[in-house]
Amino acid sequence: MTDSKYFTTTKKGEIFELKSELNSDKKEKKKEAVKKVIASMTVGKDVSALFPDVVNCMQTDNLELKKLVYLYLMNYAKSQPDMAIMAVNTFVKDCEDPNPLIRALAVRTMGCIRVDKITEYLCEPLRKCLKDEDPYVRKTAAICVAKLHDINASMVEDQGFLDQLKELLSDSNPMVVANAVASLTEINEASSSGQPLMELNASTINKLLTALNECTEWGQVFILDALSQYSPKDEREAQSICERITPRLAHANAAVVLSAVKCLMKFMELMVSDSEFVKNLSKKLAPPLVTLLSSEPEVQYVALRNINLIVQKRPDLLKHEMKVFFVKYNDPIYVKLEKLDIMIRLASEANIIQVLSELKEYATEVDVDFVRKAVRAIGRCAIKVETSAERCVSTLLDLIQTKVNYVVQEAIVVIKDIFRKYPNKYESIISTLCENLDTLDEPEARASMIWIIGEYAERIDNADELLESFLEGFHDENTQVQLQLLTAIVKLFLKRPTDTQELVQQDSDNPDLRDRGFIYWRLLSTDPGAAKEVVLAEKPLIAEETDLIEPTLLDELICHIASLASVYHKPPSAFVEGRTGLRRALPKTSGSDGESSGDNQQQAPQPTVIPNQDSLIPDLLNMDINAPPVIPQASQPAYSGGTLDLLGGGLDSLLGGGGADVGAAPAAPGVPPTATSSAGLLGDIFGIGSSSTPVYSPPKQVWLPANRGKGMEISGTFSRKNGNISMDLTLSNKAMQPISGFAIQLNKNSFGVTPAAPLNVAAPLAPNQSIDVSLSLSTNGPVQRMDPLTNLQVAIKNSVDVFYFATVMPIHIFFTEDGAMDKRVFLSTWKDIPSQNEVQFNIENINLNADGLSTTDGISNKLQSCNVFTIAKRNVEGQDMLYQSIKLTNGIWVLTELKVQPGNPTIVLSLKSRATEVAQGIFEAFDGILHS
Amino acid sequence: MWRSKEGKECLRLLEVVADLLKFVNPRALLSYFRSLIGSREMRILILGLDGAGKTTILYRLQVGEVVTTIPTIGFNVEQVTYKNLRFQVWDLGGQTSIRPYWRCYYSNTDAIIYVVDSADRDRIGISKQELVSMLEEEELKSAILVVLANKQDMEGAMTVAEVHSALGLDALKTRTFQIFKTSAIKGEGLDQSMDWLANALASRK
Repeated sequence: MTDSKYFTTTKKGEIFELKSELNSDKKEKKKEAVKKVIASMTVGKDVSALFPDVVNCMQTDNLELKKLVYLYLMNYAKSQPDMAIMAVNTFVKDCEDPNPLIRALAVRTMGCIRVDKITEYLCEPLRKCLKDEDPYVRKTAAICVAKLHDINASMVEDQGFLDQLKELLSDSNPMVVANAVASLTEINEASSSGQPLMELNASTINKLLTALNECTEWGQVFILDALSQYSPKDEREAQSICERITPRLAHANAAVVLSAVKCLMKFMELMVSDSEFVKNLSKKLAPPLVTLLSSEPEVQYVALRNINLIVQKRPDLLKHEMKVFFVKYNDPIYVKLEKLDIMIRLASEANIIQVLSELKEYATEVDVDFVRKAVRAIGRCAIKVETSAERCVSTLLDLIQTKVNYVVQEAIVVIKDIFRKYPNKYESIISTLCENLDTLDEPEARASMIWIIGEYAERIDNADELLESFLEGFHDENTQVQLQLLTAIVKLFLKRPTDTQELVQQDSDNPDLRDRGFIYWRLLSTDPGAAKEVVLAEKPLIAEETDLIEPTLLDELICHIASLASVYHKPPSAFVEGRTGLRRALPKTSGSDGESSGDNQQQAPQPTVIPNQDSLIPDLLNMDINAPPVIPQASQPAYSGGTLDLLGGGLDSLLGGGGADVGAAPAAPGVPPTATSSAGLLGDIFGIGSSSTPVYSPPKQVWLPANRGKGMEISGTFSRKNGNISMDLTLSNKAMQPISGFAIQLNKNSFGVTPAAPLNVAAPLAPNQSIDVSLSLSTNGPVQRMDPLTNLQVAIKNSVDVFYFATVMPIHIFFTEDGAMDKRVFLSTWKDIPSQNEVQFNIENINLNADGLSTTDGISNKLQSCNVFTIAKRNVEGQDMLYQSIKLTNGIWVLTELKVQPGNPTIVLSLKSRATEVAQGIFEAFDGILHS
Repeated sequence: MWRSKEGKECLRLLEVVADLLKFVNPRALLSYFRSLIGSREMRILILGLDGAGKTTILYRLQVGEVVTTIPTIGFNVEQVTYKNLRFQVWDLGGQTSIRPYWRCYYSNTDAIIYVVDSADRDRIGISKQELVSMLEEEELKSAILVVLANKQDMEGAMTVAEVHSALGLDALKTRTFQIFKTSAIKGEGLDQSMDWLANALASRK
């Protein structure tokens, strides 16, 4: 006897029992068995082995049994994809059942069965159900289309389901309309093209608005979200839509309210901001938002996050509602913190007394985080509302008297800011601060205190002693504190040189610290007078409003109110996998006075808004407005694209098939070897001044060597002319027989590059012959992130074989012609991009004496020909600074700063972008352009 | 999209019939019969290649009318009462992709009705292979076999004898079986075959 007996068990087990029960004749027993199976399934036992037996119970007139079997199917069809086909016929039959409940059930289950093999069989029943006489079936089928689209998008399009879905938008039943909207929205968001499926026009909008009043609450949410994407053609239409949406604000469902708020916020952008209508609407918006704050804490939090955005966009909306944001003792901490944030945003002269007394109370609470934030809020109030500064300071002093460690530290941090905002006003309190020196153990507080000591060294008698006490533990301090200490000591030295010795001598591994030390050292040793000017210069004032969301991001988030994006305060692309295309933007304001209050906020405090940390911004503010005008952007590309292209063509014929593009070094022998010389030559021949800058395009590189291409060699490059990107290829036949039948395909890539036209090679390519082809490309193809970002995989087919290779596209071909940013927008964007997004590169070996690069104008002209737009320039201590903006075809903005020092062949490039991935590519582009 | 081979069998009146179907409630009749006789339900499989006419036969047996059919991707199951005998008739799809799943239905089967498209000379060989491999199954050892040489109404259809030899039925030694010529559309031959089957089932016990 072998051991095989162990494998042939005599015990039948549960599955076997269930199997026989499922095959029982008795209906009751069958139903019981299916129930047992479902129960096992629910607790996680694998009952997939029973698939055929359960499916056999599917054809029954018992609705309960049918539902159970369907439930089973939804769960296990994926694990038994082949067997799932046995269920198809039953679905088909059930979709024609006289009972609409069964028809809907069947079509709903069908959508949940995500098995490729059977989807094609389900089209016909789905088509019927979309036209069903019963609205319940139609509305279920509408959602099913979106599910099917997720499994097989092309099939849904080919089968015309999208058109059927669009027809349902004008269905007589509001629920059907709502579901059709939901389905279309879903499909829209999933589709890579990002082209809106739903063509919203006045009549569809009207239908949606009618359905809005009659459908369920979640249906209303779908419809409102769809409405918010509509751009009314004029103010009157926007007003009438708003009027019909306004009643939704009274809905009990918070999602409906927020979606309605989103619509209204968006449409208000289209109206004159001080019109009667907007005023009325603003009045109507406040109460529902306030009402949301009386719901459960989670909903409150979502509402608060959204309100946070709303008050930044329209601060007036809730200015009279301060009281509702007062913190309740039993609020969860996340609600408290959020309320505090909004309180500060709403604080104004009118309500500051109330706010301050509230904040003072919060500062005595038990929760540390909350208390800290409250203390900080008091400081922010002082900075924001000047009249209240004195009160705030005295409140802070009171708090310091409590001697509670973290309160004191937090207070000192904000007092430092107050000192900066109101210099020479509150120095009397310094002595009180100094008393608490010992309690400070957090770096930020210590650094703040040291700053105060350094800044007011002349008024603090024992400043040197105090600083010395910090110095003892210098090496153990945080870098921030070390840096501050260094500066403070230098200040002290400059102010009271007599009784300060060299305290500066410390060694450190931190390059920042060391460098700063060296700079001071040099300054002090060469010219103490200059040092004084530098170190003790009058400091710019600090910003009133902090933590403001960058205006463009704010606008985008306003469009996403009532979604996760508005809770995270991040655009959906930042946290939803695979969402690259289609960012929403607020509609453009109509009148000039329609500028939103967000902008006003920016304008008013402009002379004084200076964030404390960023040294660049004050520089920018003094930008030389009278800088030589930048070359008009339209004329340059047109000129270079038009004329030079013609010349390029001429050159081609002259030289017997050279490079297709002027900028590119032609591959054929006997043609001038470098790009610059050929361009220069042309310039001479045709009498174009050397001031002209040809569009830069990197020299052609061999992409596919002949030995890999079975005799076909491909070299190529990319260029951008007049806003069109093209791929310039040289195909050479190094084989013995002619090659024909060329075709090209590009894999999905980061920028959606796709051929705009087929590869056009007319005649067969004879042996030893080369041909230049220019393939124009568009950027609306499918997007998939590549690594490196600009990688492009190419497949070329010819009569011999198909060849694959990868190449890297120069990123500058994606710089668009409308990349010039307004100065003010540039400034605020630069400020709002966090400093960790700043990347610096050195562009080496630039021949500044070369033609065209001797002046910064030359540099900016050269860059401008590649759509890098110089926004401003200025000269700082012999260095030329150029500030430039670039916009990529996929909407990413990149801001750059170029530092050029005459005589120094190295140009320093700093760039900032929300998408730092592009940085390396941008650097390479600059490097290439400037070396060309 | 639907390959409508079986569509040939459709008649023009079918829509009317389909409407009529709604008024017939076979369940009610069934429970009436069940109260009369308490015998066990017989389990019958209708098998055969796609387009042989299985679904048409099933509904011909059940409601006595010709209904519009589409290719069966999966199965149909109906209760059929014939001469006070109750059958649970399973009509399984005949497409290549579905044939492997026939075996899931073999257990406890009392009889097999194997339907052949007599006009489809090209695929009679495949039909034979399927029949042979099916009859080799252990679970079907005692099942009674009825072969229906269907579509006799079509021009150029093979005769019963031709089908008999093409399927190699001579080789069957132990099995109770019979072959009939039928036309499901015209309703010819079905009664005879069912009579024979009913008797065979009754005498088996």
